[in-house]
Amino acid sequence: MTKQSALVELTNVSKRYPGVVALDDVTLAFRAGTVTALAGENGAGKSTLIKILSGAVEADSGVVTIGGAPLPRTPGEVIESGISTIYQELTDISEMSVLDNVLLARHSLRWGVLNRKANRRQATAALDRVGLAGLDLGRTVSSLSPAQRQQLEIARCLARNARVLIFDEPTSSLPEGEVEALLQTIKQLRREGLAIIYISHHLEELFAIADDIVVMRDGAVVDQRPVNAWTQPELVRAMLARDLKNAYPWVERSLGPVLLGVKDLVAPGVRSSSLSARASEIVGLVGLDGAGRTELMKAIAGATRPSEGSISLAGAPVRLGSLAHARQLGIVYAPEDRKAEGLILDAPIRDNVVLGLYSLVARLGIVRSRRLGAFARDAVRDYGVKASSIRQVVGGLSGGNQQKVILARVAEGGPRVIMFDDPTRGVDVGAKSSIYEQVIRLAQRGATVLLTSSDTDEVLAMSDRVYVLRAGRIVDEVQRADFNRERILTSASLG
Amino acid sequence: MKQTSTIAAGGREDALMSAAPRERLTAGGVVGRLLGNTTSAIAVVLLIICVVLTLLSDRFLTPQNIYAILAQSAVVGVAAVGGTFVIITGGIDLSVGAAIGLAGMIGALVIQAGYGAEVGIIVMLAVGMLVGVVNGLSVSMLRLAPFIVTLATMGMAQGLTLESSTGKSVYDLPHAITFFGGDRIFGGLPVSVIVTVIIFIIGQFLLTGTSFGKSVFAVGGNREAARLAGIDVNRVLLIVYLLAGLCAGIAAILTVGRIGAATPTSGAGVELRVIAAIVIGGTSLFGGKGSLWGTLVGVLLIGVINNGLTLLNVDPFLVQFMQSALIFAAVLFDAVNTRRLARNRMRRT
Repeated sequence: MTKQSALVELTNVSKRYPGVVALDDVTLAFRAGTVTALAGENGAGKSTLIKILSGAVEADSGVVTIGGAPLPRTPGEVIESGISTIYQELTDISEMSVLDNVLLARHSLRWGVLNRKANRRQATAALDRVGLAGLDLGRTVSSLSPAQRQQLEIARCLARNARVLIFDEPTSSLPEGEVEALLQTIKQLRREGLAIIYISHHLEELFAIADDIVVMRDGAVVDQRPVNAWTQPELVRAMLARDLKNAYPWVERSLGPVLLGVKDLVAPGVRSSSLSARASEIVGLVGLDGAGRTELMKAIAGATRPSEGSISLAGAPVRLGSLAHARQLGIVYAPEDRKAEGLILDAPIRDNVVLGLYSLVARLGIVRSRRLGAFARDAVRDYGVKASSIRQVVGGLSGGNQQKVILARVAEGGPRVIMFDDPTRGVDVGAKSSIYEQVIRLAQRGATVLLTSSDTDEVLAMSDRVYVLRAGRIVDEVQRADFNRERILTSASLG
Repeated sequence: MKQTSTIAAGGREDALMSAAPRERLTAGGVVGRLLGNTTSAIAVVLLIICVVLTLLSDRFLTPQNIYAILAQSAVVGVAAVGGTFVIITGGIDLSVGAAIGLAGMIGALVIQAGYGAEVGIIVMLAVGMLVGVVNGLSVSMLRLAPFIVTLATMGMAQGLTLESSTGKSVYDLPHAITFFGGDRIFGGLPVSVIVTVIIFIIGQFLLTGTSFGKSVFAVGGNREAARLAGIDVNRVLLIVYLLAGLCAGIAAILTVGRIGAATPTSGAGVELRVIAAIVIGGTSLFGGKGSLWGTLVGVLLIGVINNGLTLLNVDPFLVQFMQSALIFAAVLFDAVNTRRLARNRMRRT
């Protein structure tokens, strides 16, 4: 694909992390006046590619050039060379003015102090190009809409004379109605001759805006065609292109009666969702990032406060928004973000395993230290946590072992409904399957399991049934016998 | 990342993957443990200072002087027990000194008005706890920042003390109340020291031997994780500030007994010495880590340094400077230590 107008070129670029090939011999060219879309599942290598292009990490081997010259080594120099990235989250300073935000990087550049008039002229010019002409430069950024703020970020990149713009999931933080404005801005910038790299899980956006679509999988570029040579089913197939794995320890179980019932639940990030799950059943929640998987689980667990709807356990109502009541009934949640929500990193394994389960090792509020020690040692053994002692600090364990500590805690409370939110995030393959063995064991004991993962295949491999979520809603329900990844992924990503 | 064959073969054999990291942890662990165990380090410092003072002044190592140090440390010691709980939750209590002043004054006024010493004692404890409840509710239910809340209640308590006393001290308190702070038994042992020791023992049991104590560490270590694990965070915080208030009430009784009067400025500045003692004792201002033994050593260290500087006729202004410099050093040590732990973690994951 390399043509004369290629602005950024990657040649045989590879990047390895311990145990993982994140980028495998990637050769790609991005041309001026072209929107190139990168498609692929989580872990396909898109983020690593962006990190290399933005100077955040260096490739192990291969060559990256911008305008024919080698890519500089530090993020600051990369920006000066003309490559800017618009990240998923806003990076503006919300209490500063529009003017100061647009020129944030300008001050750190060559001139130092600029006179007021030139500043305003420059900011206005940049804002014009992103469709924010006439915006009051003195307004604080926090008074703007999310889409305007994103366009302001683009303006900031333009003010730095960007020639290449990378958009990393730019619409995930936008309300649906504001996506179109962003796409229009991008089209305008393409006409101005910028090279644009666009990443999104929302396939319809790719078809709406891209000139070329590049598909990545397992760190490699697997296919690359002009947009009109793709159809949506073809694209989905190229992204997945793997068989359902039989490697996960799923076994058939006889299911019990319906245990968990959720009816018309409305909560932060959840829009009118209903679901039911039986004893011993493993129910998967599938959806893109931000589709509401975590939010639905937290609402069921009582960690957030639903405004409408009802939750019942074995027919009895669960008090909405009450963690204490949900736990009392045996509904527990294992958080997605281990470090922020699941563990006390500086505390030993012992104290993390028993977190919130003090009644199991105490009488009249007095902790029996021998019982506590025995409890922790049993948990470490039963759940296969690799550690030298129960006094070892949890923050020093590998991700897989940290997850097993959480698993032990969740399982030991005698739960009836367990919600695992991405339990294998950042976990190596060996630990993954031993975590899922425990999940199966819990289901066999009669617990209802709700499961999510950032890897959709994993959820499909482990679940008896899945619900598909999109934009906070449950949009589909599929039995294991009817699992079809294309259909599921399509209904998760297409509105 | 997703090699099917590895998953199939992997099973529970991830021993290989965890073996190497564990080794690395042990290597860094030795240094970490030495640096991390501040209590023993500070105890050694305390011992060295005692030896130096013994050599420099023949008045230092006498029973009278030792008792004097202990008696002077009692108020700070009792208040620091409650303060340690607060700081382990990641909070701070600036109002403790003012609460001591207010509790002592209101109690003394009640006694002066003709109620008995028993009523006075109960009032002192109640006033201390009242300040604690205000702090606790603000920090838990209202989710206000502890620093600001307790700064405000400090000012409010000081104002109420001056208002209720019209700026005058209350003298001639009955022996039943001055006994705890002023008397000595068994040939010179101050009663206040016995009270302090009892409070420390109760506090130590509460902190390390009960579910509540475990919850205190959990809330300070990771509030969100504690909440999601089912700990009633608001309740824990409320009780912690209530305990700090109760300790302030007890400290008020000791203060009144020591001086033999309730003065409008009693307790002023105690909060600084309390926080200093706790931080010097190795309790982290970031929360989640700490011990009452450390606090005890910290209290004694401050008491000994103050006493030693007085014995050596050091200028009082310089004493204040050195005390504050000590706090600075302790906070710096805490911050560096915390960052080092975080960095080690980053490297590991």
